[in-house]
Amino acid sequence: MTELTRRALLGTIGAAAAASALPAMPAFAADRSIRHYWWGNPERDKRTFAVIDAFQKKNAGIKVSGETIGWGDYWTKMATQTAGRNMADLVQMDYRFLFEYVNRGALKPLDEFAGKNLMIADFDKGPLDGGRVDGKLYALNIGSNSQVMVHNTRAFQEAGIDADLINWTWDDFAKVCEKITSKSGGKMKGSDDLSLMIETFESWVRQNGREFYSPDGKVAATAADVSSWWQMWADLRKAGVVRDKNKTVILDPPIAESGIAVGDTAMSHYWSNQLVGIQAVSKDKIGAAMVPHKAGGKPGQFIKPSMFLSLSRDAKDTEAAIAYMNAWVNDPEITGILGLERGIPCSPKIRAALAPKLTEVEKLSVDYFTAIQSKVGPLPLPAPKGAGEVRDAFMRIGTDVVLGKVEVAKAAGTFIEDAQAIIERAQ
Amino acid sequence: MRRFFARNAPAYVFLLPWLIGFFLLALGPILASLYLSFTRYDMVSAPRWIGWGNYEYMFTRDRRFWKALEVTFSYVALAVPARLIMALGVAMLLDKGLRTIGVYRAIFYLPSLLGASIAIAILWRQLFAADGVVNQVLAMVGIQGASWITDPDTSLYTLVVLAMWQFGSPMLIFLAGLRGIPRDLYEAAEIDGTPRWRQFTRITLPLLAPVIFFNLVLQTIESFKTFSSAFIISNGTGAPADSLLFYTVYLFNEAFKFFRMGYASALAWFLLVIIAAFTAIAFFTSKYWVHYENERD
Repeated sequence: MTELTRRALLGTIGAAAAASALPAMPAFAADRSIRHYWWGNPERDKRTFAVIDAFQKKNAGIKVSGETIGWGDYWTKMATQTAGRNMADLVQMDYRFLFEYVNRGALKPLDEFAGKNLMIADFDKGPLDGGRVDGKLYALNIGSNSQVMVHNTRAFQEAGIDADLINWTWDDFAKVCEKITSKSGGKMKGSDDLSLMIETFESWVRQNGREFYSPDGKVAATAADVSSWWQMWADLRKAGVVRDKNKTVILDPPIAESGIAVGDTAMSHYWSNQLVGIQAVSKDKIGAAMVPHKAGGKPGQFIKPSMFLSLSRDAKDTEAAIAYMNAWVNDPEITGILGLERGIPCSPKIRAALAPKLTEVEKLSVDYFTAIQSKVGPLPLPAPKGAGEVRDAFMRIGTDVVLGKVEVAKAAGTFIEDAQAIIERAQ
Repeated sequence: MRRFFARNAPAYVFLLPWLIGFFLLALGPILASLYLSFTRYDMVSAPRWIGWGNYEYMFTRDRRFWKALEVTFSYVALAVPARLIMALGVAMLLDKGLRTIGVYRAIFYLPSLLGASIAIAILWRQLFAADGVVNQVLAMVGIQGASWITDPDTSLYTLVVLAMWQFGSPMLIFLAGLRGIPRDLYEAAEIDGTPRWRQFTRITLPLLAPVIFFNLVLQTIESFKTFSSAFIISNGTGAPADSLLFYTVYLFNEAFKFFRMGYASALAWFLLVIIAAFTAIAFFTSKYWVHYENERD
């Protein structure tokens, strides 16, 4: 009896407190603010800031500040902010780094919001599950993509290339490179030199029937995989049909400096969502080809979540952050602004709404996506801790190969050794 | 005691801001990093004590650590003398008693102010790019320039040139030193018909020795700590092929890219040991080559 009274009493006090707090709410709410941090390019930044404006108009009282930077510096800044306990509330996340950040406890799971203020029940299961680590959803898919060989359609036409760009092989690729280079008198090379692109190399390993990392998080790629890759590009360099080696060793250049954007080459490797951004900085119309296949090999390419939105450990106003997140994947106006620039949305409803309004290059990416569905392999498991460092090692050791300072076979052995040591040390 | 304070009080007043900053802001983190250097710490989970583990890994297993030392020592060995010679040369030119000396001093000092900035590093990268200004100028005189920045064989030299160009602060100190040399010594030498070069080696250098020593110590310490220019020019990674893997760049990568704060702290402490050792060597040997005018007993 006494307890009941006490509880009732507490309840009354609580209600009174809530009531007295209520009128103050709007004033308080006006100060709500969230930070959103993403890696971008000019086109993406333009769209994202437009999204922020639209969201703020609809949600008076929530101020969103956007912070953007290129991919090259993104993870350094992110790590610094993580260390300083000053992460943005919402951070753009990549499949490669997801595991690492979750393991460090830098992200909050989203499961408790699902169905309440984050409506994702009808989303495609596969792409959505790409954001799960150990069964918990840590990252919301904001688009799917796949590898793509972007090419200059004018150059292809002028060189009279009629290869089947979905089913072609590495031999076809080499021939195309030759044709384009000779047609342009060497002014435009066939392709960027992809020696240092670990993303394309991963497809190569899969074509050889292996994953780069085994399910228990060890390096499964072999020295033979690496040396055959570097040797192929060495041969193409020797033939003079790929981009100048001094450009190749500039790591992670912005899109605007890629061979295809400046007109040095007719092909570059990218992710399919980047088609929109590349078209924005290229003079000629671009087209989409698959990464060449290994004759008689396994599928190397895969469809993966291109980007995620994640809620950081340091987020204070989670309610506002989740409202923003929800708008990103469900609000028709906002998804309309985003289009397909970050990838193909995994909400069927949104895809249907976008279909009639697609621009030419967006149509290109949808068609490409449809065409490759049956040609890709399964999504690899998230990379283990240390994968980012392995990527650096690949570029570092590959640089010596590209510049002809170290023998291919020797460098390949060094890389595999280093990669194994890096992964072992990171655990 | 009283006399000591009476004489040194002004110095301590001027030192006060630094002392306050040191004790309130710097000392804590410095001690914390000493502790962290004996731990494995990824900034998210709590530090775990591993004793000498970091230091052991550094010396026995870490190839990039040795590479970073090699790069940094080569840089110090090249950049410090280059900068000091440049600074002394310009200081001697300016010591001719020009009327507009103030203007020239300011102009020559300018690169040092700009030099540490991000903008200059980015400018440098473009100057020395394969199709950069340097190569275009070389092409005019018929020389096919290398791709300075992206070639591991030449990339370090572009940074040495940048260091040379930032001769401002040692130059000002040299200039003050040159002003302190009594003119009558030169006049006497002139009357005896001593050639210019001998005047330089017999009068200028010996009397300037304390100033050279001071500059040498300061510049060596500074060069070991070179970071921002190397970081920018190498895209933050020490590229191409680790040829610009300065010790500090490596340290930064270990700390902020790969989350190994404990290991990075160990690296930082070892850098301190290196710098302290070099400073000690300089001080120890100084009595053999530095002569202070007023130290005759």
